[in-house]
Amino acid sequence: MLNYILSRFKSSIVVLFVVSIITFAVLMIIPGDPAQLILGTEATPDVVQELHSAMGLDKPLYEQYGNWLINLLKFDMGTSYLYGESVTTLILNCLPITLSVALYSMIIATIIAFIFGIISAIKKDSVIDYFSRSIMQLGTAIPSFWIGMVFVVFFGLKLKWFPISGYVPASESFLGFIKSITMPSVVLAIGEFGLLLRIIRSSMQESISQDYMDMAKVKGLSMGKIYLKYALRGAMVAPLTIIGMQFAKLVGGTTVVETVFALPGLGRLVLTAVEHRDIVLLQGLVMFITSSVILITFIVDILIMFMNPRIKTFERGE
Amino acid sequence: MKKILSLLMALVMLLSLSACSGDNGSTDNGQTTNPTDTTNEKTELTMGYQTDPEGLDPQRTAAASTFSITNNIYDTLVGVTSDWEIIPRLAKSWEISEDGMEITFALRDDVYFHNGRQFKASDVEFTFNRLKDAESPKAGDYENIVKIETIDDYNIKFSTEKLDVELLKWFAYPWTAIVPEEAVNNLKTEPVGTGAFKLKEWVPQQRIVLQRNDNYYGEKAKLETVKLMLIPDATSMIAGLQVGDLDIIPLTGDQVTMIEGNPEYSVVSQPMNAVQIMSLNTNNEILANEKVRQAMAMAINKDEVIEASSFGYGDKIGSHLPSTSPDYYDTNSVMEYNVEKAKELLKEAGYENGFEIKMTLPKNYQIHVDAGQVIADQLSKIGIKVNVELVEWGTWLSEVYGAKNFETTVVGHTGRLDSYAFLKRYKSDSDDYISLKTGEVDALLEQALQELDDNKRKEIYQEIQIILANKLPAIYIQAPHTMFGMSSNVEGMSIFPIDVYDFKDVYFK
Repeated sequence: MLNYILSRFKSSIVVLFVVSIITFAVLMIIPGDPAQLILGTEATPDVVQELHSAMGLDKPLYEQYGNWLINLLKFDMGTSYLYGESVTTLILNCLPITLSVALYSMIIATIIAFIFGIISAIKKDSVIDYFSRSIMQLGTAIPSFWIGMVFVVFFGLKLKWFPISGYVPASESFLGFIKSITMPSVVLAIGEFGLLLRIIRSSMQESISQDYMDMAKVKGLSMGKIYLKYALRGAMVAPLTIIGMQFAKLVGGTTVVETVFALPGLGRLVLTAVEHRDIVLLQGLVMFITSSVILITFIVDILIMFMNPRIKTFERGE
Repeated sequence: MKKILSLLMALVMLLSLSACSGDNGSTDNGQTTNPTDTTNEKTELTMGYQTDPEGLDPQRTAAASTFSITNNIYDTLVGVTSDWEIIPRLAKSWEISEDGMEITFALRDDVYFHNGRQFKASDVEFTFNRLKDAESPKAGDYENIVKIETIDDYNIKFSTEKLDVELLKWFAYPWTAIVPEEAVNNLKTEPVGTGAFKLKEWVPQQRIVLQRNDNYYGEKAKLETVKLMLIPDATSMIAGLQVGDLDIIPLTGDQVTMIEGNPEYSVVSQPMNAVQIMSLNTNNEILANEKVRQAMAMAINKDEVIEASSFGYGDKIGSHLPSTSPDYYDTNSVMEYNVEKAKELLKEAGYENGFEIKMTLPKNYQIHVDAGQVIADQLSKIGIKVNVELVEWGTWLSEVYGAKNFETTVVGHTGRLDSYAFLKRYKSDSDDYISLKTGEVDALLEQALQELDDNKRKEIYQEIQIILANKLPAIYIQAPHTMFGMSSNVEGMSIFPIDVYDFKDVYFK
């Protein structure tokens, strides 16, 4: 087990390093000069050139990258040119928002997907099965910015149930906090639950058709126990992997929904960093998001190991 | 099973813990005001904005998003009214030497920075040296000022290299805001000025809160707090005004109809000191032909373009000055919409069967994208096939503006207080992405810069506008309007010829 964690850790470092080089290279290749962006359309070419050097952008690439890397090893992600604020502070400001929305929406999506997924698997081709299959398709097909706008107008403007936009920190008012993240979380959950539902439905069906299910029935166990204890446990691996992937995706920021609901999350910060070519800020964000994705997949892998005895034995056998 | 459950529980707790510990204690206490409270005591204004400022340091950016805010935190030597009139601000009065090469400001002696230190002439000298250093985006504009002399604590003299009759106007721009030397290292996040408001907090991506400066030298602001909320989405923005979360929002033409005519709201609208133009790259063989450019101008129905891109909230223009400028001369009749004549001109130019041309549009600016697409459609009627390409703003700046690698584009240019600064890109040696290569306006521009007689100067600018309208280094489309939607109890919000907000005179009825 320890060996496994260690080897995972080593490969993660390599991934992070490669990602940082790729981000840096891409930023250098794509058109758009930070100095030009600061100056806008009223600048003369020599002014652009002067600011370009003042910002250190004319230094050789390896030197710019090297400086950044050395600072990173000292746990200093640098200062954003755009905000004049340290990158760490900027990320830490956005993180609680993104994490709470990601977690909240995954809880909603998981609950809906499990309830409908299990029922549709057990009662295949029933009314509930058809119903869940159609809402699953709708949820996946409708773009989230559109649902977001409909929510803003209907629940925010007409019914006034939820605030239209903005974020209330939990430390200020817990109810306000829940209210401010409910609409965006529901919108995100609508986008995510479809895929999860489909996976749960098919793994559950497969699990039900296994031989040991007949065995359990013959043994005279109650149907509830058979489905929830044996069938569901066998069907957990695939959904768990998907939940992990979806959660990791949401932690990486959900720019569109954050924009519609004016949530100051990571996705918007990434967008701002790209639009302004704030290289230091973007590098920091990419590093952070990559690390979170690595961490989440790692946790999910360990969870699956506990869930699935076959993987556990395999590891032990090594 | 138990192990898994406890692991899951631990994970959930960990995550929710980090969710609660956020926002580093930046709660503010002035939050309890009820938004529906409309009594006279209401002194907290909430405004929506769409782009975060690029830091709050006036000498380290060229972004309008910064200046809108910093104008309330810092002061300039002179100010400008909505009617383009220059008024005293930190300077009580000024005197221009007889030859026009020197300007001496007499400064107020009752001004204090937000950190408590008194404002002196040495701060002005420091600020202008900082404005002229390498890291300052506006340094190039102030090359003409060659000497700054502090005469005593409250008098300062600026000397120029060559005569600029509009010298005074250079001291009204928001990037000349006076900063204290001791605070310059952190001005981006911790601005210290002399203005009517202090910065209470700025949470990037969320809000900016300004608080009244009770030590202000002039008439104190009527509002106690101005809360600016970042709302990037236009639908959410207008919904925020409708439920009463926001008192003022910036509006675009398509949204005006949503609140116009409703007594609960009011709309302020004024033509911007800015022009939307379609630049034509005359390095392109086809576009180098003057008749082609004229044919294109005549084939464009500007009213239709304004209707589609600004819902009618724009003033048609024929040259590179907006209708609000004191030097504006109406050149709309020079290239009037006439498809038949356009076809004829195209035939004379030898392109009877039309041609294909590329149009690069900045996709971050809906108004330019919409205008460009309508223009593309209109040009197709005289046989010109326009291939529209949408690019991101950073790409537009480096490819089109910087590298001049384009055929046609539609974009906006923000105006200045003096026409010379606004028009100097048309000099044949400007190395700008557009310029009038024939050199016809070079001498006229220099003449205007040195002409002391106001009327004669206007005549020169009139001549320049006529030349541009005929030669068409660009096709001039409109001066779009700046618009605010406000709840009807808000008064005193004005629109200025430079991109700034001024909350000092705003109040609730």
